[in-house]
Amino acid sequence: MKILFARLSLAATLLAFSSTTWAGDHVFDSSFDDHAEGPWSDADAARFLTQATFGPTLDEIARLRRMGYNAWLADQAALPASHERPYMESQEAAGLDVYQNSRQEAWWLHAINGPDQLRQRVAFAFSELFVVSDQNGDIEGQPIATAAYYDLLVDNAFGNYRSLLEQVTLSPVMGHYLSMFKNRKPDALENIRPDENYAREIMQLFSVGLLRLNADGTLLMSAGQPVPTYNQDTIRGFAHVFTGWNWANCLVDGGGQWWEWEWCPPGPVDWPEPGWNASWFLPMQAWESYHASAEAKQLLDYPGVILPAGMLAGGGSAASDLAAALDNIFQHPNVGPFIARHLIKRLVTSNPSPAYIGRVAATFANNGLGVRGDLGATVRAVLMDAEARQLPSLASNAGKLREPLLRQSHLWRAMHAASNDGRYREWYADYYLGQAALRSPTVFNFFLPDYSPPGELSSLGLSAPEFQITTDTTVASVANALDSKTFWAWRGNPWMDPEDVVIDLDAELAFASDAVRLIDRYDLLFMSRTMSSSMFDILVSHVQGMDNADADDRRQRVQDAIWLIQTSPEYAIER
Amino acid sequence: MKRRDFIRRALCASASSALFTGFAGKLALAHAAAGSGRQLLGNSYRALVCVYLYGGNDAFNMLVPRSTAEYNQYAAARGTLALPAASLLPLNPAVVPIGGASFGLNPAMPLLRDLFNQAQSPLAIAANVGPLLYPISKAEYEAGSVPVPKQLFSHSDQSVTWLQTRADASDRRGWGGRLADMFHASNANQQLSMNISIDGENVFQAGDEVFPYFVGENGAEGVDAVQPWNADRRAAFLALRDALHGNALQRQYASVMRRSMNNEAMINDALDAETALATPFPDTRLGRQLRMIARLINVRGTLQMQRQIFYVGLGGFDTHDNQLGTQAEQLAELDAALAAFHAATVEMSVANAVTTFTASEFGRTTSVNGDGTDHGWGSHHLIMGGAVNGRRIYGIPPNLSVEGPDDAGWGQIIPTTSVDQYAATIARWYGVPPGDMSTVFPNLGRFATPDLGFMASS
Repeated sequence: MKILFARLSLAATLLAFSSTTWAGDHVFDSSFDDHAEGPWSDADAARFLTQATFGPTLDEIARLRRMGYNAWLADQAALPASHERPYMESQEAAGLDVYQNSRQEAWWLHAINGPDQLRQRVAFAFSELFVVSDQNGDIEGQPIATAAYYDLLVDNAFGNYRSLLEQVTLSPVMGHYLSMFKNRKPDALENIRPDENYAREIMQLFSVGLLRLNADGTLLMSAGQPVPTYNQDTIRGFAHVFTGWNWANCLVDGGGQWWEWEWCPPGPVDWPEPGWNASWFLPMQAWESYHASAEAKQLLDYPGVILPAGMLAGGGSAASDLAAALDNIFQHPNVGPFIARHLIKRLVTSNPSPAYIGRVAATFANNGLGVRGDLGATVRAVLMDAEARQLPSLASNAGKLREPLLRQSHLWRAMHAASNDGRYREWYADYYLGQAALRSPTVFNFFLPDYSPPGELSSLGLSAPEFQITTDTTVASVANALDSKTFWAWRGNPWMDPEDVVIDLDAELAFASDAVRLIDRYDLLFMSRTMSSSMFDILVSHVQGMDNADADDRRQRVQDAIWLIQTSPEYAIER
Repeated sequence: MKRRDFIRRALCASASSALFTGFAGKLALAHAAAGSGRQLLGNSYRALVCVYLYGGNDAFNMLVPRSTAEYNQYAAARGTLALPAASLLPLNPAVVPIGGASFGLNPAMPLLRDLFNQAQSPLAIAANVGPLLYPISKAEYEAGSVPVPKQLFSHSDQSVTWLQTRADASDRRGWGGRLADMFHASNANQQLSMNISIDGENVFQAGDEVFPYFVGENGAEGVDAVQPWNADRRAAFLALRDALHGNALQRQYASVMRRSMNNEAMINDALDAETALATPFPDTRLGRQLRMIARLINVRGTLQMQRQIFYVGLGGFDTHDNQLGTQAEQLAELDAALAAFHAATVEMSVANAVTTFTASEFGRTTSVNGDGTDHGWGSHHLIMGGAVNGRRIYGIPPNLSVEGPDDAGWGQIIPTTSVDQYAATIARWYGVPPGDMSTVFPNLGRFATPDLGFMASS
C-alpha cells in the first residue's frame, strides 16, 4: 500500500492528472473475507495464478480470493481433465486433415480456456521432463498418438509417480522416441545386444539423475567428490530389463515367430481403415521370447535398496522384470529431490533453497498418509511453501525467466484471445518462440535444468535454464511475436481473418484515458504488483504522452502499455 | 594482473557498454591494445568453424576399412548394419595410415571423397578421437588403474567434455571461448563478439570474457516495434531496458536484449551491402547455417573482424534406431553443405584462412542393438580448409573387432587420440603461441604427440 500511495503521489505531482475511480480497483482488497491460508490480496492471488496456471485473469483472481487457496486447489484436483485426443478425433471425424498442427491447436485451447488450469500446467511441466518430441520422424506421423501421450501426462498430473513412470515407459510413443519398442534380448552370434537408450535416459532424465543427492537436493559428497548414481553396468542391466516389448494385440498366429515380432502391424486392419494404428494408443505388450530373462541384471544400488546390492536375479518375465526395475528406481532416495527440483523450477523459481527442495521432497517421500510419490500432494507442497508464497526481495536474485510459451499464453488469457470459430491455429509457435509443446529438439528438453549463462549469473552460481533458449535472435523474435499478437491481432482489426486468434481489447478501452489506472491494472494482471515505481512512472508518462481523442487512440495506449510491459526485464523475470 | 590482462579486461568492459558504438572508438581501443599484445598477429584473417553433430555421429560407418582383414572385423562387429564393401567410396591417401589398412567413405559422401582425393587436398581425417584424461589401454581401463572422464557415454556430459577439451573441468567454458579470450583484442570492432553461433547456445564458444553472439540462418533479427519511426515508444522501451535492475536475472535479460539490438543493425547493414557470393549452397539446415557463415566472412572487412570463431550444428545423429537410412541422410546433408562451404571460401580467396572441423559427443558402439547403435566413446572427425594437410588419415585407426584390443566392452571403442590433441593442433595453427598452449589445454602434456600434424605451419 505504501508503494502504491507513493506511486500515486509521484504520478500526481509529475503529471497533474486527475482520477476519481482508480483507487477502487484494489484499495479495498481487504474487504474480502480472507481465508486463513490466503490469498490476502489481489497481488497474492495473481502471483499464485502465475505459478499455477497459464496466466492470471481478473475473473480468476477474484474467484481465487473468494475461494482461498485450499478450496481452489481442491476444486482444480476435482475438475475433469481436458484431453487433446478427443479434440483431434473430432476434427478427423469432421473430415479435416489432422497433423501435429492439430495437436498444437488442442494444446493452446486447453492452455487458454481449459478449466483444469493447474492440471494442464503441471502436465506441461512433466512434458518438459518425460520428453517425447514430434521432431522425431516416427512420432511426427502419429499426431493423435502424440496427443494421447500428452493426455497421459494430464491424467497423471496429480496421480502417483510410480504409475506415471510405468505408463510413460509402456507408451508406444515413448517406445519409439527412446527405442524401447522392439528392443530385444542379446544375440551373441549376431553381435546384437539390448538397446541402451531408454535405460540411460529413464535414469538420467526422468528419475534419479547422474549424481547421488542428499534429501534436500544438494550433492552427496564422498571424500570431497560427488558420487555417481549408476555406472555402465547399471545401464546394461536396465537395457536387458527393457527388452521384449512390441505392439499390443499382435496377432501371434505362429506362436511368436520372428517374422511376427518383426512384422506385427500396429492394428488389426490395414491402413487406411479406421483402427489401423489402434496399438499406438495402448501400452506395449510383452513377448517373452524376445525378453532377456536369463541374465541377472544390475539395477540401482543405494542405501536401503531391496534387491540385494541392486541385483535382479535372472529368470523373470518381461512384466515382472519391468515391475522390479521401476520399483527399484521409484524407491531411490534421489527421486524425491529430483522431481521436487524440476517442479519448483518449472512453476516457481530457478534457484530454490535446499530447504525448499527438502520440504517438497519430504512430501514426495510421504504425503502424510504414508504414501510415496503422490504428485498431487507434491504439487501442493511446491505451491503452498512459504518460499513460493512470499514475494522475494530483488536482491535475493530469486525468480525465473518466463518461458516464451507462458508469455504468450499470459497475454492471451489476460486479454481473452480467441478466433471466431474458437480454434487456436497456433501451429508454429516454435518458429518465433523457440518452443512448442512436445517439440523439443532432443530428449534434453528445450533447456537443461542447471544451465547458467556465462557472465554475471554463472559467476554468482545462479542457474537460469530458460536463458539457454534466450539468444540474441530469440530475444528479438519473442518481442516481435508479442508485437504482432498485441498491435496487430486484435478483435476489430479489419485486416485480420475470421480464423485468426485475436485479443479482445474492448473492455480495456475504458481504462485507457487514465494512464495511472491503466498501468495499475496491468501491474496486477501481468506483474502481480511487483512493478517498480520507476517502471510505473515510465509507463504512465509514456501513455500520458499518447493521443486520447478517440477509440483508436485509446486502443493504441492499451497496446503500447501491454507490449512495453511484456518485453521489459522486470516482467520477463517472474518473481 | 599483467598489463596485457588489464587492457583485455578494459576492452571487455567497453565492449559491453551500450554507449560504445563508433568505429573511431573501436579503432582507438584496438590501437591501445596493439601496444600490449602479442596476440595481434599482423593483418591475416583467421577463422574457425566448428560443425557439431548432435547425438553422437557413428563415424565407424562414415569411414570404413576396405582392406579384407579389417573389413571382415568391421563386418563381424556390425552385422546387419555393415555397409557392403562394394558400396564404399575409396579414399586414396597420400600416406598409408598407421596399420596399413585402406579405407572408404560412406556412399552418401561423394563430394567429400572428391575433396579428400584431390591434389592439394583440403580434407583430412583424424581417427578415433575422444575425451581422455590420460592415454589409456584396454587393460588399464578394465582395471580402473587410469582415470577416465566422468559420465562417459552420456550425451549432455560428453558434449561438454568434448568442447571444454579439459575432461576434468566443470566450468562449461569451451576451447573456442578460451581462444577468443586470448584473441578478441585483435579485432578493430570490439562491439561484435569474436564468437558467433548460428545454432544457439553452446559450450564451445563460451569463454571467461567473451560470450558468443547468436544470429539466425538469415541474419540478425531486430525488434520491430521500436524502430526509429516510433521515437516515444522506443524511448520508453529503452528506459525500461536500461534501468538499474535490482535482480541479476533481470540484468541478464536486459543485457541480452541490449546486445541483440546493438549488433543487429551492424550485422544486417553489412549483409545488405554485401557483394553476393556465386557459390550455391544446399537449402538444408546445415547448408543455410554455413551459407550465413560464408556471408559473415564475406563482410569481415565491413565488420572489421580479424579473428573469428563460428559454430553450427546438425541434429539427428543419435541413431539408436533405423541407423542405415537415417545416417545416410545426415551424412549426405553434411557432405553437400561442407563441400559448398569450402567452395565459398575458395571463391572469397580465404580458403587458407578458414579451418572447419567436426565435433560430436561420442562415437557409437561397433556392436548393434537390432537396427541401431548405442553410445560409444572414440570416433573419427573431419578437418577441412586450405591450411589443412589433406588427403591423409591422422592418428591410429582402431581395431574394430568384437572384444578386440580397442573395445572397452560392447563395442565402445577406446580413443587413441585425445580431444586435447585434436583441438591443440587446430589452435596452434590459429596462432596460440607455444608458451600459451598449456594455458588453453592444461592436460596436453599428458599425451605424447601434442600436434597431430594435420595443419600447415601458421
